[in-house]
Formats: sequence, C-alpha cells, structure tokens
Amino acid sequence: MEDAEFEDILDDWFIESLKTYKDLHVYQLEHPTQVLEWTSGKSVCVAGYSQSKNEILELRLPLKLLADENKSLCAERDFKVSHGGFTDGPVRCLTHIPGTRCAVTNDGLSSDLQVWDLGGEESDVIRRTGSIKGKRSASERGSRIAARPSSAPQVLHGAQISDVQLTELASGETLYKLETDSADPLSSLQFVSDTVFLAGCCNGSVYVADTRTSAPPQLSHSPSSDESVIWWTDAAAGPHPSSRRVIRVSSSGQAVVSDLRNLGGAGCQAQLDVQTPGRCSQVKVSWAPTLDDCISVSGFSGVVQIYNTCLWGAEPQEARPLFEHRGHAVSSQQTDDSVPTVVTSHIWHPERPRTLLSAASDGSVHVWDWVDPDRQGGSPTP
Amino acid sequence: MPEIKVTPLGAGQDVGRSCILVSIGGKNIMLDCGMHMGYNDDRRFPDFSYITQNGRLTDFLDCVIISHFHLDHCGALPYMSEMVGYDGPIYMTHPTKAICPILLEDFRKITVDKKGETNFFTSQMIKDCMKKVIPLNLHQTVQVDDELEIKAYYAGHVLGAAMVHIKVGSESVVYTGDYNMTPDRHLGAAWIDKCRPDILISESTYATTIRDSKRCRERDFLKKVHESIERGGKVLIPVFALGRAQELCILLETFWERMNLKAPIYFSTGLTEKANHYYKLFITWTNQKIRKTFVQRNMFEFKHIKAFDRSYADNPGPMVVFATPGMLHAGQSLQIFKKWAGNEKNMVIMPGYCVQGTIGHKILNGQRKLEMEGRATLDVKLQVEYMSFSAHADAKGIMQLIRMAEPRNMLLVHGEAVKMEFLKGKIEQEFSIDCYMPANGETTTVTTNPSVPVDISLNLLKREMALGGPLPDPKKPRTMHGTLIMKENSLKLVSSEQALKELGLNEHQLRFTCHVQLQDPHSDADTLHRIYTHLKSVLKGYTIQHLPDGTVIVESIVIKVSSSAEDSNTKVLLLSWSYQDEDLGSFLSSLLKKGLPSGIC
Repeated sequence: MEDAEFEDILDDWFIESLKTYKDLHVYQLEHPTQVLEWTSGKSVCVAGYSQSKNEILELRLPLKLLADENKSLCAERDFKVSHGGFTDGPVRCLTHIPGTRCAVTNDGLSSDLQVWDLGGEESDVIRRTGSIKGKRSASERGSRIAARPSSAPQVLHGAQISDVQLTELASGETLYKLETDSADPLSSLQFVSDTVFLAGCCNGSVYVADTRTSAPPQLSHSPSSDESVIWWTDAAAGPHPSSRRVIRVSSSGQAVVSDLRNLGGAGCQAQLDVQTPGRCSQVKVSWAPTLDDCISVSGFSGVVQIYNTCLWGAEPQEARPLFEHRGHAVSSQQTDDSVPTVVTSHIWHPERPRTLLSAASDGSVHVWDWVDPDRQGGSPTP
Repeated sequence: MPEIKVTPLGAGQDVGRSCILVSIGGKNIMLDCGMHMGYNDDRRFPDFSYITQNGRLTDFLDCVIISHFHLDHCGALPYMSEMVGYDGPIYMTHPTKAICPILLEDFRKITVDKKGETNFFTSQMIKDCMKKVIPLNLHQTVQVDDELEIKAYYAGHVLGAAMVHIKVGSESVVYTGDYNMTPDRHLGAAWIDKCRPDILISESTYATTIRDSKRCRERDFLKKVHESIERGGKVLIPVFALGRAQELCILLETFWERMNLKAPIYFSTGLTEKANHYYKLFITWTNQKIRKTFVQRNMFEFKHIKAFDRSYADNPGPMVVFATPGMLHAGQSLQIFKKWAGNEKNMVIMPGYCVQGTIGHKILNGQRKLEMEGRATLDVKLQVEYMSFSAHADAKGIMQLIRMAEPRNMLLVHGEAVKMEFLKGKIEQEFSIDCYMPANGETTTVTTNPSVPVDISLNLLKREMALGGPLPDPKKPRTMHGTLIMKENSLKLVSSEQALKELGLNEHQLRFTCHVQLQDPHSDADTLHRIYTHLKSVLKGYTIQHLPDGTVIVESIVIKVSSSAEDSNTKVLLLSWSYQDEDLGSFLSSLLKKGLPSGIC
C-alpha cells in the first residue's frame, strides 16, 4: 500500500474516532502479546510468545486515562514499564493471583506452570520463583489457569477436562481434582464464586463443579454437534446469582447465551457478524464487567466487537455489533499483507464501564474508551 | 588501564536538568548545562564544586557542548560561563546558537522581572556567553585541540538538536541529549553510524516508558479544538515560534478541510515571521516534507489559517488563534488570554512546558484566580488543556539507538537504579555490554581497551608473511619481532635492521662465554664426541652438529673442549652463545656442569 494511501485511511478512521471514542491510546510493543491480565486497577501484564526467550512486562496505564478530576491538566499519555522479566519460552496464558504480587504462566507446550514474583518497590525485575507440575509433558494447547478469587493463593489449572486440579501455590499441594474421564481439551477455565468454577471445552461442552466436593461436575453438552467447530466460553461474574450467565462462541461465529444454573435451558442465540469464521485460534469472548448484557468478542480478525445480548432472541439470527474497534486492522504495522493482523486478546477495565485494552499480532496494544452509539448526541455519561 | 569517567552533576534523585562531566584521554568535557526548573534557589544550578571548589572553570574544562535549546539543557549556561567563569569554547549547532539566546532572555525576563529574583544572569551575560559559542555542522569533525575532536549527529526532537560524538585518540563517547527514533511532521528521526563508541550516554527518563502514538496525541488535540468550536467557544493556543506551531497548523488545516469547518483560524504575524525566518535559515534541519513545502511556498500559507489582527479577539463566535509567547508570560498570547479567560465555553491549549512564574505555569497547576497588574484578579473560567507533543525515544527507541551505534558500554543518567534493573538486564542480555546507571554526583569509571594503530613497514610485513603458517587470527596472536619507532604523531613498526639504519646505529652482537670443568679421562676429541652424543639424546628437536674442526654446534652455540694444563683428565669446555640463544646457552652450561653420564661412549 502506498504511504500516502495508508496515511489517508488512517486519517479517516482517526477522524471518525473523534466522535466514536472518548479516549484512545495506541502503543507499539517490541514484541506482540497474547496475554493481557490486570494486576491492579492501574496495571496490566503482557508477555511475548515467540519460540525462545520472551519478556513479561507489567505496564502502568497512562495517568491521563485514569485521572478523573484533573484530566485536562495531565499530559501523561504513555505506558510506564513498571516491572519486567525474561522467560525461556512462549507465554500463552498468564494469570494474576489476586491480593498478591504473584502471577502464574503456561507456555502452551505442556501443562506445567511457571510461578513469578512481579516485584515490588525495591526492584523492577519480575523473577521466576517456582513451578507447578501439570499432568501432561506435551500438550497442544497448553493449560488454562484460573486463580481462586479470595483466600490463600491457589490456582486451578489443566490442559484437558480430566486434568483439572486445584494447587496451593505455597506448598504445591493438590487440594482438589476434577473427577471425570473425558479428555476434551479446555478452552477456558474460571471461578464463578470462591469455590465454584466453570470449565469450557473446545468442543463446546461446559462443566460446572465445586472445589469443596468430590461430587461429579454438572455437564452441559455442546450446542453443536459439528466436531470441526471450536468453542470458547465466558461466565459473567455478576453480583447476583441471577445475573450469572454463560456465553459460548464458536469458530463459525455462533453465539449461545444461557443461565449458569440452567446451562442446557433456553437462553438466547445469535450469529455473530464475524469475518473469516473458521480461521481462528485465539478467540476471546468476555462479558462486560459493568455494562449489563454486553459482551465483547475478538480473535476472528483485527477487530474487537461489542454486542448487546438483550437484542438476541431464542432463534439464531444475524446480530449486528453495537460497536467495533477497528484500530488494529486499520493501523496495522505489518507489511506482509498475506498475514493479516489478528487481535490476540482483549480485556475490559474492571470499573470503568467502556474502557478496554486490546492487543494484536503486530505488537500493537490499544486502550480505548468507546462511546455508546445509542447515546451519542448527549454528553457522555461516565 | 585507560579509563573514561562520567559524572552527572547534581544531587540525589532530581531529574530536572542535564549537566554531565566526562573525562576522556586527559580531557574534561561538560555535556549540557541545564537549569532545574523546579527550584527557586541555587539548587537549580548544577553543582560545579565537583570540578573545582572555587574559582573559574576555564582551566578545568577543555570544552562545553550543548545538545539543544531546551532550558533544562542550556538554562544554566550564562550562569556557568559568566558568573562562575568559563572562557573556553562552547559548542552547539547553528540553530541552537540562534535560538538559545532568545529562550534564555525570555527566561531571564520572567525570573528577574516577574519574580523579582536577584542572583541571576543579566542580558549582557547572555550576550557575552554566546560570544564564546562555536557553531557545529552535522557530520563534520571539529578539532577542539590537537587531541580532542567532536562531531554532531541529527537527533530529531527539536530544531537543531544534536547527539554528539567525542573522540580522544582511540577512545570515544557518544552523548545523545534528547532524541527520538520516529520521525514526526516536521523533524526527522535521530541517526548515527556504527561508530562503536566506548560509551553511549543517554537519559533514562523515558527509557522505561512506551510512548503513545503521535496520532493519538493529535487526535486529542483535534477533539478538544473541535468540541470548543462546536459549542461556540474560542480556542487560544500559545506557542513558541519554533515549537510545534507549524505542525499544529498543518493538522488543523487538514482537519478543517476534511470536515468542511467554517470557524476562522488565525496566527499572530510575529509568530509566522520568526518561524519562517528560522526555518529558512535551518532548512536542512527539518524533514523532507517541510523542505518540499518550503520550496513550493511560504510555510505559513494556508487556506484556512489567516493572519491575526488584535481587533479580531473581540469578534463574536468560535475561532482558533495561535499566538506567541508560549508560556503566556507577556505579549499577544497573554492579551488574548485576559480577554477570553472569563468565558467557560473558551479553551486554552498549552502544548508545552511552562516555566515557574508564568501564567502558563500557574494555570497548568490548577490555579483558577490570577493576580494581574494593578491588583486586578482574573477569574479563570475557560477550559485549560495541557498537551505534550514533544518527541522522545522510549524503551524501544533506546534499543534501536544502541543497535545503530554499537557502543561497547551503555550509561544511563537520571534514573533510579532499582527502577531500571530490568532495562539494564535487557541491554546486557541483548547486546552483551555493560550498562551503568550512576546516581547524580556519582562517578562511573569505565575501563576501555583502546587499540593503538601502528603502521608496519612493508619489508617487515613481507618477512612475516614469508614465514608461512596460518593466516593471522585475532584470537591467536602471533609474536613478531620488530622495533617501534614513535616519531611526532606516528607509530611505525619496522625490522630491527631498518631501525638501526634509520637511527644511524651499528648493530652489536652480544656473545656470552663460559667455561665448564669436566672430569673425563678420554682424549679431547673423544670427550667432544661424548658430549655430542649426550646432547643429541637430551636435546631432541634441536640442530646439533659435530664439525670436523673440533666443535659441536647446538643451534648457534659453540662448544669446544680442551684439556687443563695441570691435569689431562680435567677437561675445560668452552661454551659460547649469542644473546639470542641466551636461554639455551644457560641451559647447556647447567646441563654440562652436571657431568656426562657414564654410559656414553
């Protein structure tokens, strides 16, 4: 693409962005990341995924974004690399242990986990402090990791559903094992309460279990019998049990929402407006932490989409996204047109309603606060 | 061991100013001489007591080099040269030389006239200081004296900013000043060749950041301007003639065109005259695009931006005005500000840092009531926006620069060591070089390993080549013999014969002789033969000959046997060797003193 042409498209999108975003920050990391994980309300961790040595970085969000009162007097727009460290292999999954300065990673090659100290005031180096042995020495997708929300540092992890175990970090002791024979590989793992967790398999089936009991898990079968399709899952961590919903998205763009306590029951569905369905391995689907009914999807292309699920019905119909962040696709730094930029990960800010971070395969990281198109025209409500 | 010493002047952790001392090859150089903008007392000046406790600095410094016109790099220069005292050369690029005095005078006015300070340099001092300045061109080597040479490289960042290469003999240092690695609308990116300095000195202030894109900063600017215009407000942008004014104008012009906006945009004529004047002078310092624009037309010829007239400030409706000076401390921008401050629909956008004592500084610190002349109070109701457009390299940029220059060591100033361990580790890992991070006032000593270039005579070279063997390998040095002649500034390696000839000396041979007594009943000839056999068995690999004239020769050592006059069984061996065979000769004499083994015949 001609430089002038490229600049033009950028200009159009940027000019459009004046109305469609409240805040927009665009960064270029030295190496792309597949992980974005909050370590506090103000900092995130990113890490490289090249075959050999990589960096883990803890980035503090720009002060201007976080400043609420004196925003206009703050000119600071940069990320601060507050801590950094080196890994020996790729980082495919990174989970922060709440209430600590500890993080756990997996390299996607086996189900072993590495434990890290993110560093404090006295040092800016992220150091490896230990490891946790997983069940599989070789694994195609690697393990999913979930940190127990409260109490002592414990991690739930596993590469496939039968491997899921809860390990205490300090002792390495296995406190719980999921009893099931199925060898379905996992695509997601998360706690929905302090002891209850949800494990989403690649084939679309979802297991719900309680770490306090050894009772067999609740199983909800895949919404589709098509075995070529991969599914990803996210459960909303709402304050009320009634708002605990689960969404499943497939590589063909099908989305199914159900209630956590009645996974097989009638929920709502939609066919997402995704390009190149089928060609994706890094799909991420996420419920918005503070916006009711909103979900975000990425990984199909260089776009992050936000949908309002309350518009969905019982029968799958084509859904239009409420908002699309096209920044990564539009300003891609990749010169090789045959390998388009793909969004590798995205996360919502835990408190700011419409603030998200997204990362793409070209090393870009964007921080954006979008304007709800339905509310445009009036003054933006925080 | 040869070494280079680097000391960032200043104390504790304060980051506000740059002033670095470098001692290299017996020369002392001061890099930048900045003012700390956060202090009101003497702490704002660098602490020169490190150089000398009292008295002038002229005898202690070989030169001073200023990287660019920002006050935290040149603000203390007149104080240093005129109040502390320095009469030696001060080097800076042409644009820096032209712009520095303007900024220094502005700064002086604000500090003395507005803040009423007394221990400060005067206008005359600024002039006297600038008389000591020797301007530099890019990529041109300048001989400061017989041994010290310096060269300036393009740094981007601001007009005239340079990175400087300092060389004494075969030791060198590169100081970056402030620089950026991504080009922007009116300046290019920093560039340096693979000069492989012993030390690359850089600021660490931005080394641990990841910069937000230029586009997003511009977006924020356009958004704020647009929002104000849409609600009928007026936008004041106080600018320094050579700062971002031109860039921001281009931005607004493009935006107005695209959005088909009608609100008027103005710039004060003083601004454009100055800017045009300087850009014309320093056209080689701006980037390609500006150069092309300039060749075609006047840089400030815009479709939507017109020259301002004082009376326009009272016109109703939305408008945007670019006016000088940049810190709202006087002149047109302050006048306009006073008129517009009372309306909350209006906005002032400060695109850069403001010095203490200026209105700009006060409003950026949140002050909403200002005391003006004659006790009048001004209520600041308009929106105040602080935006930073300055171009700095970040963590990625530093790595890029190191890759470009390939230094042997890295040195980062103005950072807290505990906050930079990761960066240090990263640099050490990726480039296998040491990374130093001295605190202010702390001296870092870097041992260098300079190579001494020597010319070798053709004859000597041919002789060594003729000896055959493997080609020279830097990892396996081969000993060669020659004589080093140091004449004037040249070093020459020649063969010994040639050296003697050149010096008009005769070569003398040194021969050692010793006598060894031996008890042996045989005849002289037989004893000699026995010695020959003995030596042949002991000294394998050496050339040993038994000559018919009655001598045994080992390499060049001559051995003769004769009988003692008193007793024919006492043999006297005469050993004679030249200086070159001293070791072997000594060994033989010790060996033969032990006598001959009985079994020999």
